[in-house]
Amino acid sequence: MVIQKEKKSCGQVVEEWKEFVWNPRTHQFMGRTGTSWAFILLFYLVFYGFLTAMFTLTMWVMLQTVSDHTPKYQDRLATPGLMIRPKTENLDVIVNVSDSESWDQHVQKLNKFLEPYNDSIQAQKNDVCRPGRYYEQPDNGVLNYPKRACQFNRTQLGDCSGIGDPTHYGYSTGQPCVFIKMNRVINFYAGANQSMNVTCVGKRDEDAENLGNFVMFPANGNIDLMYFPYYGKKFHVNYTQPLVAVKFLNVTPNVEVNVECRVNAANIATDDERDKFAGRVAFKLRVNKT
Amino acid sequence: MTKKTLEIYSVELSGTKDIQQTDKGNGKEKYRGLKNCFEPRKNHYKEELRKEVDLDDHKLSIKELEKKYDTNIITGLSSTQAAELLARNGPNALTPPKETPEIIKFLKQMVGGFSILLWIGAILCWIAYGIQYSMNTSSSLDNVYLGCVLALVVILTGIFAYYQEAKSTNIMATFNKMIPQQALVIRDSEKMTIPAEELVVGDIVEIRGGDRIPADIRLLSVQGCKVDNSSLTGESEPQPRSSEFTHDSPLETKNIGFYSTTCLEGTATGMVINTGDRTIIGQIASLASGVGNEKTPIAIEIQHFVHIVAGVAVSIGILFFIIAVSLKYQVLDSIIFLIGIIVANVPEGLLATVTVTLSLTAKRMAKKNCLVKNLEAVETLGSTSIICSDKTGTLTQNRMTVAHLWFDNQIFIADTSEDHSNQVFDQSSGTWASLSKIITLCNRAEFSPGQESVPIMKRVVVGDASETALLKFSEVILGDVMEIRKRNHKVAEIPFNSTNKFQLSIHKTDDPNDQRFLLVMKGAPERILEKCSTIMVNGQKQPLDKNTAEAFHTAYMELGGLGERVLGFCHLYLPADEFPETYTFDVDTMNFPTSNLCFVGLLSMIDPPRSTVPDAVTKCRSAGIKVIMVTGDHPITAKAIAKSVGIISANSETVEDIAKRLHIAVEQVNKRDAKAAVVTGMELKDMSPEQLDELLTNYSEIVFARTSPQQKLIIVEGCQRQNAVVAVTGDGVNDSPALKKADIGIAMGIAGSDAAKNAADMILLDDNFASIVTGVEEGRLIFDNLKKTIAYTLTKNIAELCPFLIYIIVGLPLPIGTITILFIDLGTDIIPSIALAYEKAESDIMNRKPRHKKKDRLVNQQLAIYSYLHIGLMQAVGAFVAYFTVYAQEGFKPSILINIRVEWEDSNVNDLEDSYGQQWTWYQRKYLEWMGYTAFFVGIMVQQIADLIIRKTRRNSIFQQGLFRPQYWFVAVPFAILIWVYDEVRKLFIRLYPGSWWDKNMYY
Repeated sequence: MVIQKEKKSCGQVVEEWKEFVWNPRTHQFMGRTGTSWAFILLFYLVFYGFLTAMFTLTMWVMLQTVSDHTPKYQDRLATPGLMIRPKTENLDVIVNVSDSESWDQHVQKLNKFLEPYNDSIQAQKNDVCRPGRYYEQPDNGVLNYPKRACQFNRTQLGDCSGIGDPTHYGYSTGQPCVFIKMNRVINFYAGANQSMNVTCVGKRDEDAENLGNFVMFPANGNIDLMYFPYYGKKFHVNYTQPLVAVKFLNVTPNVEVNVECRVNAANIATDDERDKFAGRVAFKLRVNKT
Repeated sequence: MTKKTLEIYSVELSGTKDIQQTDKGNGKEKYRGLKNCFEPRKNHYKEELRKEVDLDDHKLSIKELEKKYDTNIITGLSSTQAAELLARNGPNALTPPKETPEIIKFLKQMVGGFSILLWIGAILCWIAYGIQYSMNTSSSLDNVYLGCVLALVVILTGIFAYYQEAKSTNIMATFNKMIPQQALVIRDSEKMTIPAEELVVGDIVEIRGGDRIPADIRLLSVQGCKVDNSSLTGESEPQPRSSEFTHDSPLETKNIGFYSTTCLEGTATGMVINTGDRTIIGQIASLASGVGNEKTPIAIEIQHFVHIVAGVAVSIGILFFIIAVSLKYQVLDSIIFLIGIIVANVPEGLLATVTVTLSLTAKRMAKKNCLVKNLEAVETLGSTSIICSDKTGTLTQNRMTVAHLWFDNQIFIADTSEDHSNQVFDQSSGTWASLSKIITLCNRAEFSPGQESVPIMKRVVVGDASETALLKFSEVILGDVMEIRKRNHKVAEIPFNSTNKFQLSIHKTDDPNDQRFLLVMKGAPERILEKCSTIMVNGQKQPLDKNTAEAFHTAYMELGGLGERVLGFCHLYLPADEFPETYTFDVDTMNFPTSNLCFVGLLSMIDPPRSTVPDAVTKCRSAGIKVIMVTGDHPITAKAIAKSVGIISANSETVEDIAKRLHIAVEQVNKRDAKAAVVTGMELKDMSPEQLDELLTNYSEIVFARTSPQQKLIIVEGCQRQNAVVAVTGDGVNDSPALKKADIGIAMGIAGSDAAKNAADMILLDDNFASIVTGVEEGRLIFDNLKKTIAYTLTKNIAELCPFLIYIIVGLPLPIGTITILFIDLGTDIIPSIALAYEKAESDIMNRKPRHKKKDRLVNQQLAIYSYLHIGLMQAVGAFVAYFTVYAQEGFKPSILINIRVEWEDSNVNDLEDSYGQQWTWYQRKYLEWMGYTAFFVGIMVQQIADLIIRKTRRNSIFQQGLFRPQYWFVAVPFAILIWVYDEVRKLFIRLYPGSWWDKNMYY
C-alpha cells in the first residue's frame, strides 16, 4: 500500500492546534464541549473525593488500632542500639587542638544536649530513685499518668560534665569527652535485673595502643537499672536518658583511632552481624596537635 | 519509469507486445504502488529480466541448440560436463528468500519495545554506581546488582521472544521440506534418475504425464503432451505442447516447458535451458520477495502501546528528575529516582505475555487447520475487513462434478455434495440406461490401480477433469465401471480434440444376442446435435423436430447460464449387416457413420462449492467482512458459484441483471440499484484507480472474473486504499506478490505452491474457506483478550509508580523497591495475564463489524485512563494504606514519616526517634523498610486479584461470564483442617515426649 504521508506545512500544524484548542464549529475546547468538560470534571471531583474519603476512613480506622501508649509491635527493637554524642557526620570526632573552630560546634551541641541534665532542672522535675532497681510504674487498672522519671544529674558526669570547665569538655586540651547513650525502647528491661556497664576498646591492636588511657563517668561506665523501663514519650514525660561519658586522656595525636564501645548487659546481644549498632557503637577519634 | 515497470511485468503477462500497446496509457497509473516497492531493486531486475527477454532457445533448431549447450540429444551430457556445470551454475533449485541473519533477529529482540528503556535504566544504574564509587570507594554494590538484573531482564525476555519466533519459523521449515523431486535424465548415453536439483543446462530430460517439469526445458520431441501452466499464468486450461516454434514470445510458444508446471498427459523429451533462479518461475519468485511486507496491525498496535507507555515513563521520569533536582536532591539521588520511575512504568513482562498469548492462539488455530507462520498474523485475521478469495479449491471442491442432467425433456439435479451419496433423480427411464452407457463407455479416464478401499470421490484418476467427473459419477451410480467397459469391448476410438470437439468410441455390446456395434459419442452439445437426426425420449427413438430442438436449446442455455460446462451425448447402434463382427474400423478414414445419430441427453458439470462455504460466507457477512471473489474463470461460472455460496446474495442483482429484468440497456440502469457487480479482467484493465475505488465502495458484493494474477495485486491495493485490512487467498506462484502485498496472505496447504506458501502469512491446511472464518473468530477473540491482558498489566504500574513520586515529593521512606517491582512484573503478574488469553468471548464476536484499523486501537485513551487513573489509583491508595499500617504499628505514625527521608536513609543516624520516643538504628529501620516493601507488594497483589477478576469481562457482569463455582473451593477444606490438626498433634507429642519413639520418627 502506498502510504500517503502528506507533509504538513507549519501553518497547517498551527491551524490544527488552534482548532484543537478551540473549535468554533463544534464549540469544543481541547476536544470536548463545555458540557463534556463539566461532566468530566464533576466525575473526577466525585470520584477522587470518594477515593480520598475512603483513604481517610481506612487510615482513621487503622490508627484506631494503634495505641498512644505503646506501639503494637516491637519485633525490630529487641536489641537497643548505641549512639555517641557529639553527633558528627560520619561518626568521627576530630579535634584540632589549636583550632578552636574545629571543636566549637561540638561544644555548642554538647552544651545544648546536656542542658536538661543540669542538676537544678533534674531536681525540679524528676525523682530521686533507688539505684540498682527498675523504677516500675505499673498502671494497675488506672492510667498512671504522667509517669515519673529518675534524676540523672549532670554532675554525675564528673570531668565531662562541662560545668565550669575551661577546657570545653577537654576539646581544647586534646582530651575529648565522648558521650555514649543507649537507644530508648519502650518497656525494655535492660540488663535483666543485673548491673550493666559500657566498655570501650580500640578496634584493632594498633587502635588499642593509640587509644591510650581513658576514664569513664559514671565510674566503670555503669548504667543504672533505675532508668528502666521507659514508658514512651507521651507518658514518661521528662524521661532522662542515662549517659556514659568517656574522656580520652592521651590519645596518640594525628592518628585516626577506631574506637568501639559496647554495653555489657545480660539481655543485650552485641554480636549482630548485620546491625553494626546493636548494643554497640563504633566511631573514629582523631586528635590533631601541631 | 513506465519502461522499467513494464519490464518487470513482462514476465508475468503473456506477450510483451500486448502490454506495450495496452498498458502504455494507464500502466503507469496502475502500477504506481508497485513501482515504489520495486524501485530500490530495479537495477537488479532489469538485468535479470533482460536475460529473460533475450531467451531465444525456442527459435533455435535442435542442431543449433546442441551446439549452444555443447550437448547431444541422443547421448546427453557426460557426467564430467554435468558436474562442471553444476559447480558453475549451482543447483537447480530456487534460492529461498533471503533470511535475516539470526544474530540480527536476536539483536532486534534485544532493542525492540521496552528493552531500550530498560537498557537506559541499567546504564543509569551503573552510572549511579560510578558516581558513588568516585565519591566513596566503599559504596554499596546495590546499583550494580540492579543494573545487572535489569540487563538480565532485557536479555531473558529478548531470548524468550526470539525463541518463540524461531519456533514458529521452525514449523514452517518442516512444512517446507518436500519429497525431493526426481528427474529422468540422459547422461553418458544412459537413462538415469537423479534428484532434480542436480540438473544442469544442456541435460536431456524425459517427462511423462503426472511429472512436474524439473527445469525450464526446450521440448525436442513430444507425444500428446499437455501441460498445466496454472502456477505460472493462472489459466487452468491444459495447454498442448509440441516441438515446433509457434510464437515469438517464449511464454507463448509451444516448445518450451516451464519449471514447476505439471505435465498432465503424454510424454516429451526436452533439453534443459535454464535452471534454478534463472528459470521464469524463479524470476517471479524473486519478484515476490521484492514486494514490501506491510507491518501487521497488531505490530502497529503494540508499537502504539509501547509509544504511549514509553512516553509516559520518559516524561514522568524527566519531570521528576527536574523536580528532584530543584528540590535540592543530589544528582545521584535524582538518577536513582529516574531508574525507579522507568522500572515502575515499564510493564517488563507484557511483551513476553503478548508473544505467549499469540502463540497459544496460533497453536489453537493450527488445530483448526490454520497454520500461522507469522505470530502477529493471528490477530490480523481478526481485524480483516475484506477477504479476496480464490474460487477454485477454496470456495469450491476443486473437481468437476456432474451437477445436472437433461434427458426426456427434463432437467434433473445431481447431488454435488462432497461424497455424492444422494443421487435422487429418476433412473427408471430407458433414456437413462442409454445415457449411462454412453457416459461409461465414451470415457478414457481410469482409476489408478490399488484404490479399492478409498471412497470413490477421493480416488485418484488418470484423465482430464470432465472425464474424471463422468467416471466418478457413473461409478457411484452404476458400480464397477471398468467391469462394464470390459464387457463392452472397445474396438475403435477417436479421442477428443479441439477441431472435432467430440469424442467417439465404438464398442461390442455386452448383450450376447445383439451382434451390433454400439457407437457412442460425446462432445460440445451443438456439435453433437448437428450430427443427430433422432432423439431418445423415454427410451424411444423419435425424430428430432423443431420442438425438441427448441427444448434442447432452452435446456442448454439454462445449464450454460448456471455457469456449467455442458456436454451432449448421442449413440448409434451400427446395423449388423453393414458392420459385421469382423469389421475393421479405421479411425483415420472414418469408415463408419458419424451423422444421423440418436441424441440421448445433456449432462452438465461444475466445480461445486464446498458444502461448508455458504455458511462461512454468511458468517463473514454478519461479521461485517466483505468477501470478494477473484478468479481466472469465466464470469458466468464465477457468478454462478458466487450466487450458490452467497457471495452474491439471493436477492441482489448486478447492473446486467437489472437491465435484463427491465428490458433496458445496461447504460440506462441506475448503478445505485445494483448491489452486486461482476467485473472481468478486461474491464478492470481499463479502470483508473479512482474508478476501482468507486467500484469497491459502491458495491457490497463483487466478483472479479477472468483476472490475471497481477490484477489481483491491483485489487488488493484498491482494497487497502479503503483502509481495509485485506486477506488474500492464493495458491499459484503468480499469486505470491498479492499474498505478500495483502495484510494477511493465506496460502493453500494442499494446492498451494511453495512460492505462495513462502509469501503467505498463514497456510490453510485443508484449503477450506470455512477455516478462514474460524481463524477470524480466534483473531478477534485474541484482540479482545489482549486488551484485557494489557489493561490488567497497566493497572499496577500506577501503584508501582506512585511510591516513587510520593517518596520524592513527601520524603517518606521508600514504599516499594525496584527489585520488588520487577518481581511483580515478571513474577506474580505473568501467569494471570496469560490466563486472560484463554477468556471466552463475552458476546458473539462474529456479529460485530471488523475493527477499524485507525480508530479501534488496542490501547485506547479510555483503556489507559481507566487503568491508570481509576483502578490504578485505587490500587495505589490501597497499597499505601497497607504500608502506613505496617509503619504505624511498628511505631512510626504517618505524621512523623513526612520528610523523614534524609535521616531515615543516613546510615550514621542510629538513634532516629519514632512516634513513641523509641530510637532506631539504621539497620532496624532498613528492616522495617523491607517490611514496608512486602506490605506494599502484598497490597498490590491482593488488589491485582480483584483486578484480574474485573478484567475477565469488559461489559458483562462477572457472574454472567462465570467463575469457578464457589462450592468447589470448599470441598477439600475438611482435609486442609485435618492436615493442620494432625501436624499440631505431631508437634504436641514431640514437645511432650522428647527423645521418645514419636520424636525420633516424626521430628524433621
